[in-house]
Amino acid sequence: MRSAAEIALSLGTVALGVGIAAVTATLPAEGGYAGIGPNFIPAVVAAGVILLGIWLSFEAFSGGWRKRTESVDAFQPSPFVWVSGGLFAHMALIGWAGFVIAGTVLFVCVARGFGSRRIARDLAIALVFTLGIYFFFVKLLNVGLPAGWLAPILGGAGI
Amino acid sequence: MEALNALLAGFAVALQPMNLMWGFIGVTLGTFVGVLPGVGPALTVAMLLPLTVKLDPTGALIMFAGIYYGAMFGGSTTTILLNTPGESASIATALEGNRMAKAGRAGPALATSALGSFVAGTIATILLTLLAPLVVDLALKFGPADYFALMVFAFITVAAVLGNSTVRGLTSLFLGLFLGLIGIDSQTGQARFAFGVPELLDGVDVVVLAVGLFAVGEALYVAAYESRLGATIEKVKGSLLMSAADWKRSWPAWLRATAIGFPFGTIPAGGSEIPTFLSYATEKKLTKHPEEFGHGAIEGVAGPEAANNASATGVLVPLLTLGIPTSATAAILLGAFQNYGLQPGPLLFESQKDLVWGLIASLYVGNIILLILNLPLIGIWVKVLEIPKDLLYAGILVFATLGAYSLHQSWIDLATLYVFGLLGFAMRRWDIPVGPAVIGLILGPLAETQFRRALSISQGDASVFVTQPISATLLAITALLLIAPWLVRKFRSTSS
Repeated sequence: MRSAAEIALSLGTVALGVGIAAVTATLPAEGGYAGIGPNFIPAVVAAGVILLGIWLSFEAFSGGWRKRTESVDAFQPSPFVWVSGGLFAHMALIGWAGFVIAGTVLFVCVARGFGSRRIARDLAIALVFTLGIYFFFVKLLNVGLPAGWLAPILGGAGI
Repeated sequence: MEALNALLAGFAVALQPMNLMWGFIGVTLGTFVGVLPGVGPALTVAMLLPLTVKLDPTGALIMFAGIYYGAMFGGSTTTILLNTPGESASIATALEGNRMAKAGRAGPALATSALGSFVAGTIATILLTLLAPLVVDLALKFGPADYFALMVFAFITVAAVLGNSTVRGLTSLFLGLFLGLIGIDSQTGQARFAFGVPELLDGVDVVVLAVGLFAVGEALYVAAYESRLGATIEKVKGSLLMSAADWKRSWPAWLRATAIGFPFGTIPAGGSEIPTFLSYATEKKLTKHPEEFGHGAIEGVAGPEAANNASATGVLVPLLTLGIPTSATAAILLGAFQNYGLQPGPLLFESQKDLVWGLIASLYVGNIILLILNLPLIGIWVKVLEIPKDLLYAGILVFATLGAYSLHQSWIDLATLYVFGLLGFAMRRWDIPVGPAVIGLILGPLAETQFRRALSISQGDASVFVTQPISATLLAITALLLIAPWLVRKFRSTSS
């Protein structure tokens, strides 16, 4: 059975190999006693990725990838978007709003993605959880985490 | 008896109160996270790595040994009670363990698994103690060409021979090799594939890759495909104690499984999956109660669990003595060493004697901690299993992102994490193994260094790889492994 996704992934692998090869062409070649420079192994990897991409494409066009386990359920876009959205919000918030707020937003979004409808409960658990981690890391393990907007409450131990 | 003296000195390190405490924390956290459904040992180790950044190397690695063992054991608890193996090595346990739990015999199943892990882990650690100095002596004779050949051998077995598909395994490996190229070339200082992004100059961190593939990828996959599925947890009813008959049937299984598991761990054969199945098959063949298999035979739990632990310890032989990781989890452990500027291998046994032997001694201690901690705390682990899926994955992702962010305090690492998450999602969805990518990332740069070093010594003469006996032998075995399956198929089709 021909699958559009398999064909796309196979051709994508070929494209990745070509991309690696293009960047490799800009790397210096000379390398002292060894006779090979920092571009040699990248060239080998580029060749390998291209060949594997061609092999995958061959399988994809001739009856599909071999011996694949098929997943039976349908893709559900909304949970996927909630989880991704939570990760993006976290990415954007952590630098200025701080770990506790970014982590709480992430927690609530992921829980929502997994079907939770109890936002107040999730919010409460998220706050306790992230505050616990914050104090454990900053006070006990001496690992810096950004305090952000909550700096006045959390004290200055974070960064 | 030099090894014995070194081991005694190691115990002096491992039994220091602080190190003992790190061992305790490691086993507890490792078991706790390992019990979480869907979290395998590789992810457990990767997620807990950031905890140790401010510790001294000895304490950190002792904690890691505890996490490693705890994660292995935690996985089997989940398997017995929930029947959703968090790791491939637990599938064999699930066959009988979950049946026992369904039949109301969860207690003895957990007990034989805990005791079997202890017995196998301890015997395997003794074997490690005896074997490590011998392998170190051998490894000191290895030149760069031999190391390179050994790494190629590991690449091929892990990526091409094991798993469903040679081409998909190799694709995963090459993806890892490519990611390993990103950053500053260790030989010349040349920046490669960094595109001027400062975070990329350090190279791709194994934590970001492992957590991205295993945690973010898994969360996206489960959210998109399985968020509506429920699972039933079996109750732990009645006594945890094993009856006299249980003991009698478990003992031989533990010992046989250790004999199977340990050697498999020491060779690059992809970790625990094969030995656990071999042990299961052995027990099924030798049992006096064949009618019980498939309905909860205790040998079917005792064997695979002991094999799992013995091979987990066996994996440490090539990791510590040669610096070669043979499973994704071992690759992450190697990353933990590298964080401290330590390169496992024969020289580490000389330069960091206390650390290495302290680590080995702490394996003995870790096994005991595991035993005394797990059975009494079984009630807590059952509670951990009851955490609903929505809160579970929310918590995992908060912790996963924390690990990536703590590297440079930069959102770029979080963006990289998400990219790896998408990659992990796609690999899971279209059945591409992720282990080879993690091993490629860690082992690739080491292989390149050895390759170029070998050519430097030979003044650019590439024949060095086939003229030196160790290297030539290893490459010949590798070639044989690659073409043998193809030859067998060819032979079969012509003879029939």
